[in-house]
Amino acid sequence: MDGSVIGFYVLAAVTVLASLGVIGQRNPMYSVMLLIVSFGGLSGLYVLLDAPFSAVTQIIIYAGAIMVLFLFVVMLLNASKEEVARTVALGPGGMRMAAVLSVLLGIEMLWALSRVPSSWFAQDPSATAISDVRQIGIRLFKTATEPGEQWGHVFAFEATSILILVAMVGAVVIARKERSS
Amino acid sequence: MTFSPELAAHLGLIFVIFNMLVLSAAFMVWLERKVCAYIQDRVGPNRVGFEGALQPFADVIKLLLKEPLRPKAADAVLFTLAPIISTAAAFAAFSVVPFGTSTTLFGLLDEPGIPLHVTDVNVAVLVVFAIASMGVYGIVLAGWSSNSKYALLGALRSSAQMISYELSYGMALAAVILMASSLSLREIVLQQQGYWLGFIPKWYVFPQFLGFLIFMTAGVAETNRAPFDFPEAEQELVAGYHTEYSSMGFAMFFLAEYVNMVTVSAVATSMYLGGWLGPFLPDWLAWIWFLVKVFAILFFYVWMRWTLPRLRYDQLMEFGWKWLLPASVLNLIFTAALVLWMQ
Amino acid sequence: MIPLNHYLILSGLLFAIGTAGVFLRRNLITMLLSVEIMLNAVNLTFVAVGRYWGTVDGQIITFFVMTVAAAEAAVGLALVIALFRHRETLSPDAFTALKW
Repeated sequence: MDGSVIGFYVLAAVTVLASLGVIGQRNPMYSVMLLIVSFGGLSGLYVLLDAPFSAVTQIIIYAGAIMVLFLFVVMLLNASKEEVARTVALGPGGMRMAAVLSVLLGIEMLWALSRVPSSWFAQDPSATAISDVRQIGIRLFKTATEPGEQWGHVFAFEATSILILVAMVGAVVIARKERSS
Repeated sequence: MTFSPELAAHLGLIFVIFNMLVLSAAFMVWLERKVCAYIQDRVGPNRVGFEGALQPFADVIKLLLKEPLRPKAADAVLFTLAPIISTAAAFAAFSVVPFGTSTTLFGLLDEPGIPLHVTDVNVAVLVVFAIASMGVYGIVLAGWSSNSKYALLGALRSSAQMISYELSYGMALAAVILMASSLSLREIVLQQQGYWLGFIPKWYVFPQFLGFLIFMTAGVAETNRAPFDFPEAEQELVAGYHTEYSSMGFAMFFLAEYVNMVTVSAVATSMYLGGWLGPFLPDWLAWIWFLVKVFAILFFYVWMRWTLPRLRYDQLMEFGWKWLLPASVLNLIFTAALVLWMQ
Repeated sequence: MIPLNHYLILSGLLFAIGTAGVFLRRNLITMLLSVEIMLNAVNLTFVAVGRYWGTVDGQIITFFVMTVAAAEAAVGLALVIALFRHRETLSPDAFTALKW
């Protein structure tokens, strides 16, 4: 019994249970904290997948920044407990339908994904552990100087940075209090 | 898993490091009170032990014997969880800091011995950064779950300050990573070997002086120390986010703050001051140099606290966003240009 | 070694949990959290398949997904704050003005 197999099952259990807690909890504060636990589990899974850079950026970006944002909003809006009058739009039949559809989605995905034949993927699990950050950097930023070389994802990187700038400005503008002139 | 002597030595090393961190927090308590006293032209604690050296232990015993209180309206789970998160993050961040070459425990182990760190990942700098950003949660949850207005205000201010200064912290780190072309702290220290002109060590503090200043300023702000300690200002906010905590909870926040200081100093030493590198000492004693450098930075921390006045909160945030962040970006650009030019 | 199917099943399960959260919870913030769960499930798939194909592209795509998720969370939460200012509630059932 390899250590990594135990690690996988433990981390997978933590992630799934924490995610179930996120959608099942009444208190949004607890939901946010449980999601942070879930992200921690996912980060561990990335480490098992030989992707330490993804694991660390998951903690920095998701658990360290996005969840702080959620936490601030929950605290500022004082969203304590969920209101009980939640059957206005959907009605009890609607909720049951939603639950059934979600379970169906889950079962369908499990069935489909467990039938993926392993011959679809290159059987090289213990080969090159491409976990070097240098590789990621090269793949991201490489500009093709000779013909036949492949460009890196430079354009996507720059576009994403503009996207973040736009989102930042947009968030500040949307959340601003209206000034009565 | 085979129980080899290396494994036993490694576990022993982890135990030693953990205890050293706790003892260094205790040492910091004493250092702070003595330095504060001498700066203020008085003597400080001198009754308990020689020159008051046992004072921190007396403080800890007092704190442990107090009654742990929890306000009735406080959220029980989060109230107890908050100091745990703070302390755990503070200790965990030290796990990737290297403080020496390898040791063979006086020949008990085989030749290369075990390296003197808890672990060495090839993304070590990012791990420090990640765990520092997790430390924000301890403060935010403490303030929120206390269900008290002083605590909430202190927590919101403190966490906003911490996440603002994390940006400059990261940019200063990025400049050093650019020069060292590695993310592993051990690699970064090893890149600083050698001397220019025979006597100036090749530490990164010399080419990256602005980066070092930025890093230290952001580090002081990250650990909520003066002059950035408005969130726990005694005069304005009672005690900020740890108002409602007593006994062990307060002790854990205290411990977390001092261990955070030690971690920031250790990371600054590894990245800018050359880690364990230094003349005259043999390799297996090199950790002494590390301790000396960390101690120098910690002394500087304490000295700053009792010399500089506290910044007002909006001054603090303005400084972080309008001055420190552009400075760190400029530093990064200049470093990048320099590295490109030198190739 | 852990076969790829295990990771895909886990990611499918997380995706279904996220979808269930979006359907079943009547609180705007929790709905956004469920969307984050879904994005993370997709990230896990990318990294797992990238590992099994021996490339680093999976991690790069997750890098971009994380960044876009951050932008989306920021704007989404700003919208939640603006909506809360109008109706003082976080339930999506209060914002039915555009229904016919």
